[in-house]
Amino acid sequence: MQRLGIGIAWTALILTILFLLLPIVVVIPVSFTESSVFRFPPEGFSLQWYQRIRNVDGLLSALGLSAQIAALATLISLFLGTLCAIALVRGAVPGAAAITTFMVSPLMLPGLVFGIAMLQALRMVGFSDAWSSLLIAHVVVTLPFVMRTVLGSLSLFDFGMVDAARTLGCSYPAALWRVLVPNILPGFISGALFAFIASFDNYPVSIFLVDVRTKTLPIQLLNYLEISPDPTLAAVSTCLIVLTILVLILCDRMVGLRRMASI
Amino acid sequence: MRGSRDPLGLLALPGVAFLGVAFLVPLMLLLWSSIRGVDGFTWLGYWRVLGDEYYRGVILASLHLGLITTLGAFILGYPAAFALARAKGYWQVVLFALIFLPLTVSIIVKSFGWGIVLRRDGILNWLMLNLGLIERPVRMIFTEGALYAGMINVFLPFMVLPVYSVVRMMDARLPDAAATLGASPWFSFTRVTLPLSLPGVVAGASLVFSLSVAAYVTPSLLMGDRYMTMSMVMAKAFLNLRDWQLGAAMAAVMLAVAAIIVVGASLLQRMLGGR
Amino acid sequence: MTTSHLAISGVSKRFGSAVVLDDLSIGVAKGEFVSLLGPSGCGKTTLLRCIAGLLLPDAGSIQVGGAEITRLPAHKRNVGVVFQNYALFPHLTVAENIGFGLRAQGVARAAAAPRVADALALVRMSEHAGKPVTALSGGQQQRVAVARALVVRPSLLLLDEPFSALDRKLRETMQVELKHLLREVGITAIFVTHDQEEALVVSDRIAVMNAGRIEQLADPATLYQRPATLYALDFVGQSTRLSGRVLGREEGLVLVQTALGVVRAAGSFGTGSSVVIATRPEAITLDATPGMNRIEARIREISFLGSRTQLHLDLADEGDRGIAELPRLPEGLVPGALVSLGFAVPDTMLYPAA
Repeated sequence: MQRLGIGIAWTALILTILFLLLPIVVVIPVSFTESSVFRFPPEGFSLQWYQRIRNVDGLLSALGLSAQIAALATLISLFLGTLCAIALVRGAVPGAAAITTFMVSPLMLPGLVFGIAMLQALRMVGFSDAWSSLLIAHVVVTLPFVMRTVLGSLSLFDFGMVDAARTLGCSYPAALWRVLVPNILPGFISGALFAFIASFDNYPVSIFLVDVRTKTLPIQLLNYLEISPDPTLAAVSTCLIVLTILVLILCDRMVGLRRMASI
Repeated sequence: MRGSRDPLGLLALPGVAFLGVAFLVPLMLLLWSSIRGVDGFTWLGYWRVLGDEYYRGVILASLHLGLITTLGAFILGYPAAFALARAKGYWQVVLFALIFLPLTVSIIVKSFGWGIVLRRDGILNWLMLNLGLIERPVRMIFTEGALYAGMINVFLPFMVLPVYSVVRMMDARLPDAAATLGASPWFSFTRVTLPLSLPGVVAGASLVFSLSVAAYVTPSLLMGDRYMTMSMVMAKAFLNLRDWQLGAAMAAVMLAVAAIIVVGASLLQRMLGGR
Repeated sequence: MTTSHLAISGVSKRFGSAVVLDDLSIGVAKGEFVSLLGPSGCGKTTLLRCIAGLLLPDAGSIQVGGAEITRLPAHKRNVGVVFQNYALFPHLTVAENIGFGLRAQGVARAAAAPRVADALALVRMSEHAGKPVTALSGGQQQRVAVARALVVRPSLLLLDEPFSALDRKLRETMQVELKHLLREVGITAIFVTHDQEEALVVSDRIAVMNAGRIEQLADPATLYQRPATLYALDFVGQSTRLSGRVLGREEGLVLVQTALGVVRAAGSFGTGSSVVIATRPEAITLDATPGMNRIEARIREISFLGSRTQLHLDLADEGDRGIAELPRLPEGLVPGALVSLGFAVPDTMLYPAA
């Protein structure tokens, strides 16, 4: 009977993985199709849709915008989040647990609600610059990810090591740099990765803050899908998938994938 | 040692202040506006959202969707997490990465891919035709079944990963101990393994439920207006109808649901021993 | 020969290309305490798991009380196990842990409660009955683990390094206490350990294991005084050992030339063979009497240990060890001094060089 249980577990795992990968994997062959339909199996082989990416109105600029916002939001979140995490772990702050919950709370709440709230609040104060609005909102979106992972890393860190470094001749900042930073690097990098992805992929918050000229990639893609769907979408998607895999491999080499995601 | 506050604690200030201003304040304003009408305070918004049969139906539909998604994710994801936790060395890293990867792929890409899978000329129909299971392509797009499958597809990792991390911590000797005490494999599973995995289940289920109840992209892509969720109503109210009051009230309901889930989950965790 | 309560014959197990158990056979009498002693990797834990039913041997048979249990799954064997880290169920209280086996076997709550109470009293944990097991100390957890295994009245109790998680002082107390407890209950027990002192304390017989085989199965005194091989000698207790070459025979004894002198021992080795002579440190004395083996050595270090003093001797050859143990610290002895030491011929052991 135990064998049965193990069999069920493994079957479930295989099915899960196949199921999860299915929609991602089908996109790739479709992007190489010759016809302008999404038929499977795809007919022919052509790189035309990849070439079209450059020509599609607004796609590249949306990509640029998304990357820009994601990078900046991530950096700001890393800065604010790390400072906050250090304070919470070492600073004897009253109500640290409550503050931690608060800092992570944006994750718990529907992004759509926050997007609307942001839109309304900004309108009330007459602030209408789409770019800045997006940035502010995306920092809110990304901060919880950074907090969680950096906090996790910090709480596992033995601050006795910093003391040891100081007795061996390092100044306080030097000790932090040489001892603390390398050890919380997994939390740092995984936080940055989650943050970047969360911002780059974000739809529910962004939809309310974009305007006609400032569109992020997910919104542009969705537009495209609704208005004039053709395999260019598949080509873009494939590029994004490949990019994501490369980034994951990079992070795994640097930090280790499992360490990253379990923190 | 003087009684002054440790200056290190002040490092938290910028982050907390930012979140307070950029997150808390807009939310408060939203809640505020949900009870402000054209002339003074009014509960009209809530009255419309909770009183109107249509909107009540939408709320129930969202909860229903959340429930099905969570159930489906549990049935598939719970056993899968066990296999993942017991996988050895290199395999565990690979399998883990395969489960983690879909989380990093944009939801637009996934929903788009799902559409390709389900189309009349898509891969599922192609497979079934070639295997002789059907004679003509079956319409699967825009069916509720497709919606559930698509939702489960998006949120499945959020069930697997928390259960996996709890099961991994479990002492591998416990099932052995149970066996040497005379417990049949079923008894061992229900009295030892299952109870100990419960914190992971609660974490995973609450995560999946709260995310799927508020889902926007997947239902609108896969079903459009045929299956209205709270989030779709809210978006429509703000973007299309410019009906701020309705939107705000619906937003408040969504917030309430989210808050109930969070509080409920943490109460459950505390009951389970908070491990 | 009386029928063994536990009879293992010809058990073999391999993992991949590695042979972990090599045609092992051993018989244990009812009520006897036997230790499987050896370093990690010698197969002792594997053998334990085979007896418990957590592992299936490739060949051989295991019988308990005359019944063949080799192919039975663990939960049908009624063999109790105390695991190395106790494997207590963290979500259950002390009493619930102990009662687990009874519930698993369908004993009604009403019938189970007094048995659980008895088990708690047996290990003196009655006042901790309602506590979560995570709140207990190591020693308390061990007692709960023992009670849990015993309450279902197993035919056999297996203990996997039961004291390794305890600190030293507690370990010594618990070893004696547990032995006493298990004697009272009258159960047959198999201990697995790598700690030879522990084996000497708790066992009626010790099986010294090496690479999947039993090198020697004997009671502690015999094992200590007459180890069958160099491996057994090295594993149990300390020793002084010198390598040497056989010069010939004299009066029925073998003459061996060592770096520190000529030594005689009982045995049968041809002239010219490489051998190792050994003796226990406490058999060595400063006051050699005629007829004893005599060696001369320089003292490298003196360790005063309270109840005894150890002299570490200066030896150059690889594998040689020179430790003499004296009951008192002799006056005037300093490191660097040359001393004359003696030990009786009957206390001298002779082995082929490894």
